[in-house]
Amino acid sequence: MMYVPQAFISMYLPAIYAGLIVGFIATMAIAIKREELHILILTDLVGLAMIFVVSAVGTDLAEALILPGLVVELAETLAISEILITREMRKIEQDPRANLKTSSSMFPQAFSLDMEIMTTAPNFIALVLIGYGIFLTGFTGGAVAGGGIVLYALSKKARGLPVLILDGVAGVSGIAWCLWIIGFLLFFVTPQYWLLALFLAACGLLLKVASKVGLIGLLMREDIDKE
Amino acid sequence: MRIGVLWNKLADPKNVPRLFAFSLGVLLIIGLLVPIALNPDQIYVRPAPQEQVDEGLALAPYDRGGEPLKEAGVIDPQYPENAASLGMITGYMSPIAQWISSISPYFGTSIYSSPGGLIDEILYYTRGFDTILESSILMMSFIIASWLSINYTMNRKNDEKEIKKDFKKAINDSTQVANEVKANDAKARSKQLRRDN
Amino acid sequence: MDIVTLGGNLLGTIPLGDIVLYLTPFNLFLFAVLLGFTALIAFSKPETQIEAAKFNTLGVAEVKVDEKEFKQRRFLSVICGIASAGAMITGDLFNFTLFMALVGILNIGIVSAVKQTSVLNSAFNYGLIAMMCSLPLFGGAAIILAATGTLSLSVLSQMSASPMVVFGAILMLIGILGESGVAPFFASKAEMFRTPGSPFIVIIHLSSLFIIVRAVEILLLVLW
Repeated sequence: MMYVPQAFISMYLPAIYAGLIVGFIATMAIAIKREELHILILTDLVGLAMIFVVSAVGTDLAEALILPGLVVELAETLAISEILITREMRKIEQDPRANLKTSSSMFPQAFSLDMEIMTTAPNFIALVLIGYGIFLTGFTGGAVAGGGIVLYALSKKARGLPVLILDGVAGVSGIAWCLWIIGFLLFFVTPQYWLLALFLAACGLLLKVASKVGLIGLLMREDIDKE
Repeated sequence: MRIGVLWNKLADPKNVPRLFAFSLGVLLIIGLLVPIALNPDQIYVRPAPQEQVDEGLALAPYDRGGEPLKEAGVIDPQYPENAASLGMITGYMSPIAQWISSISPYFGTSIYSSPGGLIDEILYYTRGFDTILESSILMMSFIIASWLSINYTMNRKNDEKEIKKDFKKAINDSTQVANEVKANDAKARSKQLRRDN
Repeated sequence: MDIVTLGGNLLGTIPLGDIVLYLTPFNLFLFAVLLGFTALIAFSKPETQIEAAKFNTLGVAEVKVDEKEFKQRRFLSVICGIASAGAMITGDLFNFTLFMALVGILNIGIVSAVKQTSVLNSAFNYGLIAMMCSLPLFGGAAIILAATGTLSLSVLSQMSASPMVVFGAILMLIGILGESGVAPFFASKAEMFRTPGSPFIVIIHLSSLFIIVRAVEILLLVLW
């Protein structure tokens, strides 16, 4: 039976107080602010305070628990900001004059960057990143490979991307998700095949993260300026 | 203030998050008054910071012992009886990972980069159900966000005119920026010329 | 308080590594009811509403749910039902908070495709609360973990509560109140119901109702 080293015990109090104070600052900022977009961004700060409080425990378990917390924050930001955009667009749809108000627009402005390097280098860099990501496997690998796809997608500046491609990327993501879940279930149901399950999970995770990061990239490239 | 007025204010969805944030903030400050200390009797204990680095272990700070496919590493979970091959994943390294760890003392900081390793052991094996939920949350918000964007916010099938207009606007904008850059360039050059003379 | 005192005889456990689901008559009843309701909505069709304000005008007064939207909503509702059912039998504190987060995001998702801006507005505001809730929910669970050294409910129920555990439990309570939309934070969630598609909308209500019942049980287990 191991016990927690003295270093973590003495660090716990400063760490958790830092978390509580960061959380206090963030929540008070939300309570004072009026703009919805600011509140949405400030909620990320609340998530940061959560990471403080969880990681203060300082065991391997705490390190593992940070990941779900982070992912939940990220996922909710994604969905809720999309709902915010939908709401604003529905408002404009119902009352076109609402768009003429002077208040700041929620949508990014169309802007084209004309740079030589944006057309030649990305292919190569994206390929290297995706290759390296596959070599790494697992979560990091997925993030690296996804970064490559984002770079590729962002640098190509054609607009009005066919929905088919988006559906395809989303489909790969869904299949990878299933692969991953099957890997986990194998862990529980048949522990003796843990090596197979480990590889299923690692490769599924690679595909999942990569395709999702790539999907964000594809969505980001689409300007949503519906002036 | 009458209580009815207060309830009416609460009925506006816009005020609710701010009220929630306020009460949460007050509670967090009250937390500073509560006696807080870490219980030294924890599960999944890790060695002190820098201890493994000072020992010169290649897998530091994630070395928990064990030999790939032969010997299990040391892991201290809640219910050891529910995990038959406990510690095997911590000990496992793919051949590539083994090779890299033999030539580099910094492999530990990228140990997630191969299937296996400590975090995989906890995330996949002993607490795998958490990870299923976590990935389901991610999947569901992707479904929500991508459904909305494909079917509504990004759906531009019906407004080709707008696409053309936006295109024109983008081209105009970029030429404008380019012109400005050119003008600034010329100005700077003439300044430099004057200074040189 | 002991698991047996609250929920009745322990009928069995489902061990998944460190996360051990447990079944008592109380949990099993909640679980079965939610699964039954989920099966019901999986085979039902959405209702059509008539907007009263437009009764006397010539415009179309029916608020319909189109095919695509209906499919997405049914899918999310079924997942929401399964997730709430899972939250009923889980035996791990952190696992329970994750179930809550999943139910929260699905509740937003079910109404995300509607056309009424007022509903979207309250969904967005509820989403803000759900995002903030990650601090009290996960943070509260982490504080309880730091104070007791475990997340398993059956171990926690045997321990006496220290002031730190009480603080963690209160943090979790405010997270649960926000996430399931109980007074005084009800307005944003209550407004989300005002949209057509009845059987699927009801799962929003039902899931928060069941989760608050289960949360009370969990808090009693931890505190007593």
